[in-house]
Amino acid sequence: MSRQLLDRQLVDVQGRLVGKVDDVEFAIDTEGRPYLLTLLTGPGALALRVGGRLGRMMALAAERFVTDRPMAPLRIPYPLVARIDSAVWLRVRAEELPTAPVEQWLRRRLIDRIPGAGRASG
Amino acid sequence: MRKLLAATLGILSAVGGFVDIGDLVAASQAGARFGMAHSWVLLLGVVAICAYAEMAGRIAAVTGRAVFDLIRERLGARVALLNLVASYVVTVVTLAAELGGVALAVRLATGVPYLIWVPVAGAAVWLVLWRMRFPVMERLFGLAGLALVVFAVALFWLPTDWAALGRSAVSIEEAGQGWGTYWFVAVALFASTVSPYEVFFFSSGGVEEHWGAADLADARFSVLVGFPIGGFLALALIATATVVLRPAGLAVTGLEQVAHPVVLAFGGLGLAIAALAFFAVTFGAALETGLSAAYAAAQYFGWQWGKRVSPREAARFHTVLLISVLLGVLLLLTAIDPVALTEYMLIISAVALPLTYLPILVVANDRTYLGDRVNGPWLNTLAAALLLVILTASIVAVPLAIGTRMGQ
Repeated sequence: MSRQLLDRQLVDVQGRLVGKVDDVEFAIDTEGRPYLLTLLTGPGALALRVGGRLGRMMALAAERFVTDRPMAPLRIPYPLVARIDSAVWLRVRAEELPTAPVEQWLRRRLIDRIPGAGRASG
Repeated sequence: MRKLLAATLGILSAVGGFVDIGDLVAASQAGARFGMAHSWVLLLGVVAICAYAEMAGRIAAVTGRAVFDLIRERLGARVALLNLVASYVVTVVTLAAELGGVALAVRLATGVPYLIWVPVAGAAVWLVLWRMRFPVMERLFGLAGLALVVFAVALFWLPTDWAALGRSAVSIEEAGQGWGTYWFVAVALFASTVSPYEVFFFSSGGVEEHWGAADLADARFSVLVGFPIGGFLALALIATATVVLRPAGLAVTGLEQVAHPVVLAFGGLGLAIAALAFFAVTFGAALETGLSAAYAAAQYFGWQWGKRVSPREAARFHTVLLISVLLGVLLLLTAIDPVALTEYMLIISAVALPLTYLPILVVANDRTYLGDRVNGPWLNTLAAALLLVILTASIVAVPLAIGTRMGQ
């Protein structure tokens, strides 16, 4: 199950790209059976899975953009998943989820300051 | 009529995606040094890019996912990250070489020194990426790039000995330059025809334009017509270099030599057309390599990417795009010779080829993604044989480059 989910693209109801399934979390129910609890996405979770020096470098690079460290990944409760094919489709819109910190930082500090940032060129 | 127009536009995109600074330099050098003896390499390269672009297009149309998206799913987070780093470096070095080509083309037309044009070219490429519509962008540069046909026309205008040209195309000779050099040029020419950015760009473009299973036939048609037209233009470059540069003993050290045959045939008008064609193909390829570098990063990390959403909604994608263009400009401002940069670019591309092509072949055979649209047995046989060629080119590229001192 987790092999089918890991590294897949997360897509919201409108087709916006939310991130990758960088890790998954399991929990154990009252009868002792494991079940899928949350999907994790974000450089913090990815860096741990990549591991080694490469993973640490990635985490350090991403943490430059946030104030609270270590960087917490975005947690998506598994019941929000609508269906799984070549991507993992969510029931919610991207706006209802917190925006990725790096995206937010670059949007505010860089891209929004360039004229024409609000219009799609198609 | 509308269908015909759509088909033409698709072909233009494919032509624009094929010819770039790598082809201009590698094809002319091959012709100037070895005559037509590398024609078979070009043919093999065109077959390879057609087969693998068709697979990448089919994967994009059926799954809605682009190449790098699936590379991560198939290779896992860690190996795919190493692949991303290597692919990104190769693509940005290619972008730098293309920007150098743009600046050289403008110098050819204006006579104003090359280095002045480098930042201008970088700024222009970024501005077009920031504002121009995707299909307009591809087709405009594809159409202008067709001006390269002037090389084929020049061949008829000049007193070409067609029989001798034909004979040298079928006899593979090292022409007194040594087999090491022959194979070095062969690897460079092969890498220029199957540049990885071409498939990144092609498959991402398919996803961006929402190809479905119904568009599959059109995509296949564009590939199977457009890439061979690009190959024909590259062949014309080899042939004119064979006819003009080789007897004169001219070495290709810049775009002046590449353009020399058409200048000889048509004078100032020929120079103008050649400069326009060089500008169009290198500028178009600079756009594609810039986008491909950002596509690869965004698709690995799952970021929002593409030109259909506003830049503020794809801030990370547009930041990578901006940084890639800046890196390309900075690399050129070290005053590295752009033709030498192109030669190095072709060698590192050759080394990195399997990183792109192996995952495509694996996914194109995966029923969980493609259902019954997986490769048939004939295509698989062909693709496996081509993959062997790609692997061989990748393994021998660096030893040949060192052994021949970059083909000296």
